[in-house]
Amino acid sequence: MAKQYDVLFRLLLLGDSGVGKTCLLCRFTDNEFHPSHISTIGVDFKMKTLLIDGIKVRIQIWDTAGQERYQTITKQYYRRAQGIFLVYDITSERSFQHIMKWASDVDEYAPDKVRKILVGNKSDDVEKRQVATEQGVKLAMAYGMDFFETSAFTNHNITETFTRLAEQVLAANKKDLDLLRISLNDELNLTALEEEEGLCDSASGDQQKACWC
Amino acid sequence: MDQSVAIQETLGKEENCIVAAQCDILLEDCSESRLLGLVECAKEHAIFIYTHRRMAITADDVSLEDIIPITLDFAVVEVSSPEQLVVVGADTRVRMSYKNEKLELRLPFGSHSRFFLGEVNKAWSDVCRLPTQVPKFEWTKKYKKSIKRQEATKQAIAPLEVLSTKNNQHQKIEKVSDKKGSLEKVKSSNSISQKSKGNSSQDNQSISSREERDDLVRSSSHTASNKAQILAMPQFGLRDNLIRCELLKSEDSYTYLENFRFFLGTYNVNGQTPKESLRPWLSCTPDPPDIYCLGFQELDLSKEAFFFSDTPKELEWMKAVFEALHEEANYALVKLIRLVGIMLIFYVKKEHAEFISDVEAETVGTGIMGRMGNKGAVSIRFRFHNSDICVVNSHLAAHVEEYERRNQDFKDICSRLQFRQLDPTQPPLTILKHNVVLWIGDLNYRISDLDVDSVKDLISKNDFETLHSYDQLKRQIDVEAVFVGFKEGEIDFQPTYKYDTGSDKWDTSEKCRIPAWCDRILWKGKNIQQNHYKSHMDVRTSDHKPVSSLLIIGIKRVNPEAYKKTFEEIVRNIDKMENECIPSLSLSKREFHFKDVKFMQHHAETLNLFNDGQVPCQFEFIQKPNESTYSKPWLTANPSKGFIAQGASMDIDLEVFVNRTTAPDLNCGKQEIEDILVLHLERGKDYFISVTGNYLPSCYGTSIYSLCHMKEPIQDMPKETLLELAEKSPNDDTATDEKPLDIPKELWMMVDHLFRNAVDQEDLFQQPGLRTEFAEIRDCLDSGMPDSLPGSNHSVAEALLLFLDALPEPVIPFPFYQQCLECSSSAGQCEKVISMLPQFHKNVFNYLAAFLRELLKNSANNRLEVAILATIFASLLLRSPTKQDFAEKRKTQEFFQHFLT
Repeated sequence: MAKQYDVLFRLLLLGDSGVGKTCLLCRFTDNEFHPSHISTIGVDFKMKTLLIDGIKVRIQIWDTAGQERYQTITKQYYRRAQGIFLVYDITSERSFQHIMKWASDVDEYAPDKVRKILVGNKSDDVEKRQVATEQGVKLAMAYGMDFFETSAFTNHNITETFTRLAEQVLAANKKDLDLLRISLNDELNLTALEEEEGLCDSASGDQQKACWC
Repeated sequence: MDQSVAIQETLGKEENCIVAAQCDILLEDCSESRLLGLVECAKEHAIFIYTHRRMAITADDVSLEDIIPITLDFAVVEVSSPEQLVVVGADTRVRMSYKNEKLELRLPFGSHSRFFLGEVNKAWSDVCRLPTQVPKFEWTKKYKKSIKRQEATKQAIAPLEVLSTKNNQHQKIEKVSDKKGSLEKVKSSNSISQKSKGNSSQDNQSISSREERDDLVRSSSHTASNKAQILAMPQFGLRDNLIRCELLKSEDSYTYLENFRFFLGTYNVNGQTPKESLRPWLSCTPDPPDIYCLGFQELDLSKEAFFFSDTPKELEWMKAVFEALHEEANYALVKLIRLVGIMLIFYVKKEHAEFISDVEAETVGTGIMGRMGNKGAVSIRFRFHNSDICVVNSHLAAHVEEYERRNQDFKDICSRLQFRQLDPTQPPLTILKHNVVLWIGDLNYRISDLDVDSVKDLISKNDFETLHSYDQLKRQIDVEAVFVGFKEGEIDFQPTYKYDTGSDKWDTSEKCRIPAWCDRILWKGKNIQQNHYKSHMDVRTSDHKPVSSLLIIGIKRVNPEAYKKTFEEIVRNIDKMENECIPSLSLSKREFHFKDVKFMQHHAETLNLFNDGQVPCQFEFIQKPNESTYSKPWLTANPSKGFIAQGASMDIDLEVFVNRTTAPDLNCGKQEIEDILVLHLERGKDYFISVTGNYLPSCYGTSIYSLCHMKEPIQDMPKETLLELAEKSPNDDTATDEKPLDIPKELWMMVDHLFRNAVDQEDLFQQPGLRTEFAEIRDCLDSGMPDSLPGSNHSVAEALLLFLDALPEPVIPFPFYQQCLECSSSAGQCEKVISMLPQFHKNVFNYLAAFLRELLKNSANNRLEVAILATIFASLLLRSPTKQDFAEKRKTQEFFQHFLT
């Protein structure tokens, strides 16, 4: 019997070290906030299930090391993402400037139809703000992305941001999904699709052999 | 032989017999041969039925008996009842029906019969495709007269008998003359029309209600209000099972009880046909019930019903039921199931239909041989809102003394009746697994230990309580021999068996049966109240009286808001669980620094991995993209993969070792001690481990050319100079300001040391030196220029060999290798090759050769031989760019020997 299909998306958090990528993830998945900064050295991930339009969407969110010296490695993870959060810290002009670089890396390494969303984190820290909301809006517009200011600390806009990107990814993959739903009762087609997915994974596995899928 | 030719001869011009087939028409207790022809005219089709003498060859052999036009009212179905064994090679039995006429035919086994039926079906499908075209069948009219005429003459010959839908099959079939000989006449008795192929035994009303029911029930699983079921749709992943399981556990949190009125009825009709309205029974409640579950027994006592499971009674009683349902509500038929004479009908108020789902029906026979369907049960299970309900209608073994048999029947039914589950991985569902079980039927338990008169006396006194104490069922339930956990309401009506049919009089037959409460209604489950439990004396068709009970059942309804909340909570918890189950390690250190790494010096640091996750974990250092190994060649992790149980830890040695392969690029600064390891956990995250360090350049692994341009020890040279030298071509001497050295000073130091101290040393170059002394010698060569080298002669000798071995380009550079092999036999040729070497290489070669010849002069003391030295040095000076085979090795030695003598 063919396995019922669960929609699974991979979303990736990108941005300079210290902008709060790990905190955003922890807030979203576990509703927790740890104020101390521990650099992510590597690639971590967590799962979360969302219900979008009655579809059970499982998202796998990858939290990457922001430090520059790891970027040659982390870039290799872009390829398998369907959605990307470009995160900066509203109290750090520098992190905002770097969004351009992150975005161009995404263009280079991520799949063409990847969906992006701009996130200005630490919106609670009004006093130290260096990047005006308008700047974020403007940049997002230039890139044709949605934009959210968030605070992992106060849990502001967190679910909204993640849900929004998941929705966009869902919409971008709607055609495939509809195909899938039509063939849901058709075992043959279903397995074919699953196999296809398997192929993608093994193809990427060629280059990154033992990496998890 | 194609008999369509004979038929064709009887037809008109425009008419065409497409195919003909011989068949047997099945009559009451005999069969007669007929010829069937599928005739087409003006795109209309009809089946012509002919009697025939012998195999038809000419028109004279056949005479037309009837014509069945193929219209929407036409149907042909293959008859196969579950009781019949399907034998390969058996004849094909089909039932043709047109409006209310039915013909049962037997076609001989074989492809021709198949072909015929196929063509008939095709014709019928054509009709269905264009349902708007009104068929006229004008062309068949001319035949009708002849049919009648013939019938008149045929009366005496063979009566054409037809299975009618209306007539009791026990009844003798009327003579042809009575029916005026035509099949078409039969329809007079009943206005039922056949609508579709599958439902050949449904009446108009029931068909429409059934279709409606199908739509309603089917659509129920898609309505938004029923989202609960969509979400809980059975799926096959472990995760979904988990969600379903959790949802079930916390059902109370998102469901609330709502009372619904279930009308249950049971009636043993003793093979009778409905003769009176069933309203007194079915419409006895002031308000319309929400659900009707009605059980019949002994619907048909004929042997046809028994052996072929085919009975017109089903339709008749169904119709009678439908007409008697409560007037104030509309009902949809959800399901009807019948096993011989045991039938269960399930109606639901239309507005509830969308909340009915997962309807399944099954039967179990407990009759003769424990299998046949004259006794047994039929059952329907369904889901109403969020409650699973199972209704059983059973007819248990008869006779006063057989109560234990009845107990056994009950047990058999409970264990053998199984419903398939939507999710095939789930075991089949049995009756007693349902939230609510409603059990009705002729359970056949009697009054024992009382004679007829006492029973009747108690009845006349309305002392049902006393009488009930003699009831076998009550007694058996009391000793928990049957119906354990079931409840029955108080019996406040007189026994329902056995009456003289058509009256309220007790059985006056010879047997003079003792009255008994055969017909009962029991239930099992929570939140069930009985509103009434009674018999219906006004219904007199049978020797039983029908019984009814109105149960008020608390049904679990889903509160969509609460459901959503619960569902999300469960999903959140499962996500959390899943996240916790992602393998995880804690690393003792994320950054490793290796200080002052030297050539051929082993450095190691320990990385401790502790499994702080909740699952065992499989780890592996994985390669980065575009790299073929997980680390730079000078770095290894030992072990590089493994398995760590929960709470356990493991030490990984990170080892740095620079050998002759990796040294050249490190010496000149093209590479540094810098790497990032990716530690990957299976199904988990990746950790990055950064490895850094500084490397102290060494003459080992540095080219002859570079070394000749270094007057200072290599470690005193500026980094830029090292890189510059490394990037220059060995043949390019133009750029240097200073005159370079003839040979590397390090080489000179070692050779000079040996020349001065070891000419008489036995086993020179054959006995290994000490590791520690080598390190001292290396440091000495790389960092300073003491007058003499430390260590024993053997250590210096080995240091020299290592030096030659580590040269990135051997003394005889790779491009000359092949040439050397080719001329190895000729001393002159060999010398010519050497003369062509780059200057510094030539210098080194000649210098070494001279030194070795010098050693050989002292062979009396040091016992060195040409062969030994040739073997040792040829492999260092003449290295193959690829792998060397034995023959090549011989040639290199031969080559070098020329220079030792």
